[in-house]
Amino acid sequence: MNRTFLLQQVLNGLAIGSVYAIFALGYTLIFSVLRIINFTHGAIFTIGAYTTYALTGSQFGINGLLAGAALPFGFPFVLALLGGSLVAALCGVIVERLAFRPLRARGADPLLTLVSSLGVAVALVNITQYLFGAEPYSYPDPLQGLPSAINFGTAAAPVLVRTVQVVIFAVSMVMLVLLTYLMNATRTGKALRAVAEDMTTSSLLGIDTDRLVLLTFVISGFLGGVTGTLIGLSVGVAGPYFGIAFGLKGLAVIVLGGLGDIPGAVVGGLVIGLAEAFVPAQYIAYREAVPFALLFVVLLVRPQGLLGRAQVQKV
Amino acid sequence: MATFLATYDFLLVSMVLAAVLALTLYLPLMAGQLSVASPGFYALGGYIAAIMSTKIFPPGPGLYPVSLVLLEMAVAAVVSGVLGLAVGLPALRLRGIFLALATIAFVQILGVVALNLNVTGGAIGIFGIPQPFSSALQYMWLAVPLLVVSMLFVARLERTRTGRALVALREDELAAAAMGIDPTYHKVLAFTTSAVLAGAVGAVSAHFINTWNSRQGTFDTSVNLMAFVLVGGSRTFVGPVVGGLVLTALPEALRGIAGVAGLPEWLAAFLRDGRLIIFGVLIAIGTVFFPQGLITPGLLRRLVRRRARPG
Amino acid sequence: MSGAPGPAADPLPAADLLTVERVTCQFGGVTAVNEVSFAVGRGELFGLIGPNGAGKTTLFNLITGLTAPSGGHLRYRGEDITGLPPHRVAKRGIARTFQNVRLFGELSALDNVMIARHVRTHSGLVSGVLGLGPARREEHETRERATALLALVGLADRPEERARNFAYGDQRRLEIARALALEPELLLLDEPAAGMNAGEKRALSELIRSVRARLSLTILLIEHYVPLVMNLCDRIAVLNFGQLIALGPPALVQKHPAVVEAYLGDGA
Repeated sequence: MNRTFLLQQVLNGLAIGSVYAIFALGYTLIFSVLRIINFTHGAIFTIGAYTTYALTGSQFGINGLLAGAALPFGFPFVLALLGGSLVAALCGVIVERLAFRPLRARGADPLLTLVSSLGVAVALVNITQYLFGAEPYSYPDPLQGLPSAINFGTAAAPVLVRTVQVVIFAVSMVMLVLLTYLMNATRTGKALRAVAEDMTTSSLLGIDTDRLVLLTFVISGFLGGVTGTLIGLSVGVAGPYFGIAFGLKGLAVIVLGGLGDIPGAVVGGLVIGLAEAFVPAQYIAYREAVPFALLFVVLLVRPQGLLGRAQVQKV
Repeated sequence: MATFLATYDFLLVSMVLAAVLALTLYLPLMAGQLSVASPGFYALGGYIAAIMSTKIFPPGPGLYPVSLVLLEMAVAAVVSGVLGLAVGLPALRLRGIFLALATIAFVQILGVVALNLNVTGGAIGIFGIPQPFSSALQYMWLAVPLLVVSMLFVARLERTRTGRALVALREDELAAAAMGIDPTYHKVLAFTTSAVLAGAVGAVSAHFINTWNSRQGTFDTSVNLMAFVLVGGSRTFVGPVVGGLVLTALPEALRGIAGVAGLPEWLAAFLRDGRLIIFGVLIAIGTVFFPQGLITPGLLRRLVRRRARPG
Repeated sequence: MSGAPGPAADPLPAADLLTVERVTCQFGGVTAVNEVSFAVGRGELFGLIGPNGAGKTTLFNLITGLTAPSGGHLRYRGEDITGLPPHRVAKRGIARTFQNVRLFGELSALDNVMIARHVRTHSGLVSGVLGLGPARREEHETRERATALLALVGLADRPEERARNFAYGDQRRLEIARALALEPELLLLDEPAAGMNAGEKRALSELIRSVRARLSLTILLIEHYVPLVMNLCDRIAVLNFGQLIALGPPALVQKHPAVVEAYLGDGA
């Protein structure tokens, strides 16, 4: 196979994959601490994207209740990104307080929490659609001055990757390092892992489990919001339902990597990105099925995922 | 009365079909399995009917024969059953969340496949599906028997050896196995029966809606079904039926309220288009405040007792 | 050992119903059961005792197929049942109760017992739903047998009561009725007297004796309450840290130095 082609596909795969990876980091973090799948992560993703858009002072289109609305001021992109992600984090916390906390207090089955999160996600996404319509939006370009693409090949055989995708990959690596450092090398991380093991015992040992759960949702929501904006930057904001699509795909990513495994989220994301990139041209239409086919197979063959440990079932 | 039926004919049939679909979620749930695979079989059933009636049987003058619709339903049921068995046997070794995820993946894969095959009409789908009836209301001739038969089936099931086995699995799979109940066999049985029913509903729906494409039987449908069962009741077959009927009628009722003069536009628009918002919120509220749904076995017992006592 | 012959004459060379052959079970780094071997004869009332964590319940789980052994064999009526899934073990005639009662809490007492009739009945889905003659008769018979079993354990007065509403001691008796519905030849009781007061313990003892005689059962009993075990059992096996440290009639086992040490520690 042509080396240039191969390199191009690999880089494309890593580019797609790194977006999945950042999304999955937040998704899997919640599972690692609370043993629940928080499907609202996709809705948070949407909220982050839309809030960032609003914060850049851009105007919303002709559909939706807030048609034509725009903030009277606009922030530079990076600030808008931070603001949007903080709002997303806040939404995550609100969802936690209202929907998940009561279930956790009752010791409800994680399945019930999954169902609840599905409902909340669908409600939030549809509220967004009700307010802003489903038109596509794009952000004002923050990378002016930088070349639009970086060449990883040669002048004769160029292998181009869009600068924004390189930035996203870099962000995903930074996030992975930061989260791994947090979980393994800080006291907070240790406390989080204790809570993940056994919440009741941790709380009896004096760990403020409530605050830690809050922190988990803040980090996760923030990451979700960041992903939403980054994807919006990369391919545009394609309607609120994009969050649901991501939420569904994200399931494949975190199961493949290993539920609750933080490096696994990145591995899973990159693997699925590469798998999608390497779909042969004649099957390109089936690309969207690839993550789900992988999910199905992984569930049957190795449900703990690539990096997870096999679960011992206690009787 | 006649104008009521004429105005709401489409809605009434939709309500009945939704109630039957709700039962397809209820069946695996009887065995403690959350499977959201039925939208996939529903889509499959619809495609089978659509393809058979537009491509296989030649179009004739007048109405499409009901006997052929019944044939399509039978074919859809059998094909769904076979696929259900093929998917269920490996998948039902999974528990809890893992099974739910596998069924989500299944529906997504089917959706992508449907979107891309020529025979399913690709993104456009199949339209102009022949009509066996001259009015929407007459679809009740198919929908109501389907509902009645499935309700009778499930009601009887709850009182038989097999039904008891399913419920035992739901209560405590380990103890049930220790008491001699084969978990995989029964879970696959419930799953396959659910697939068969979903396929049959799909076949009727394809004719009813007149077109069929990959927007039928999606993740959104799963969310609808979960709302029906969660709100209606997950511990008795009456629950999903009532949930399906009421929640399908709810958006229409809200639309009626929206027409009342004097409402602010934002509220009217919400009542008109906010179906999924309402369902989503209902699901969230339901899991916290009434996880067994509104119609519980306890409630049914009390209602029956009250009826038995002389007034 | 009495031994009413089983349902059909079977060519068992010895009168051993259950043979545990060097069975081992390891979870991760922990060896819960370590090369345990013993045999239970037809009609025996066989006790299994040992300190907490000795591996007694794990052994039950191994016998009933809930856990697969990492080594060794289990033979029942001469057949190798190692690694069989729980429902197949139950079908062959081994029934059990659980250390932490595992009733179907939301279901009625009668339903709990009726469910366990599953392996001794045959009606399938279709004949059941259609209510065909044989299915209806079988349903009727299931109900009658379940009612009789409830009466046997003294719970005939509340058949429709939800299982979780019963007092703890009654729940344990209900679990026994449920296990008996399988028409087992071998009954495994896991700490059936836990949570019972002295009177209930006596009644339980009587129940076990009468059930064993009337139904020609072989019983394997895990119990912490030593007087019960000493009174009831023909032979006792003692486990400690997953190993068999003594085996024999109660009087001998009681005085066995390893047993004394296990229970009292070697500070003495």
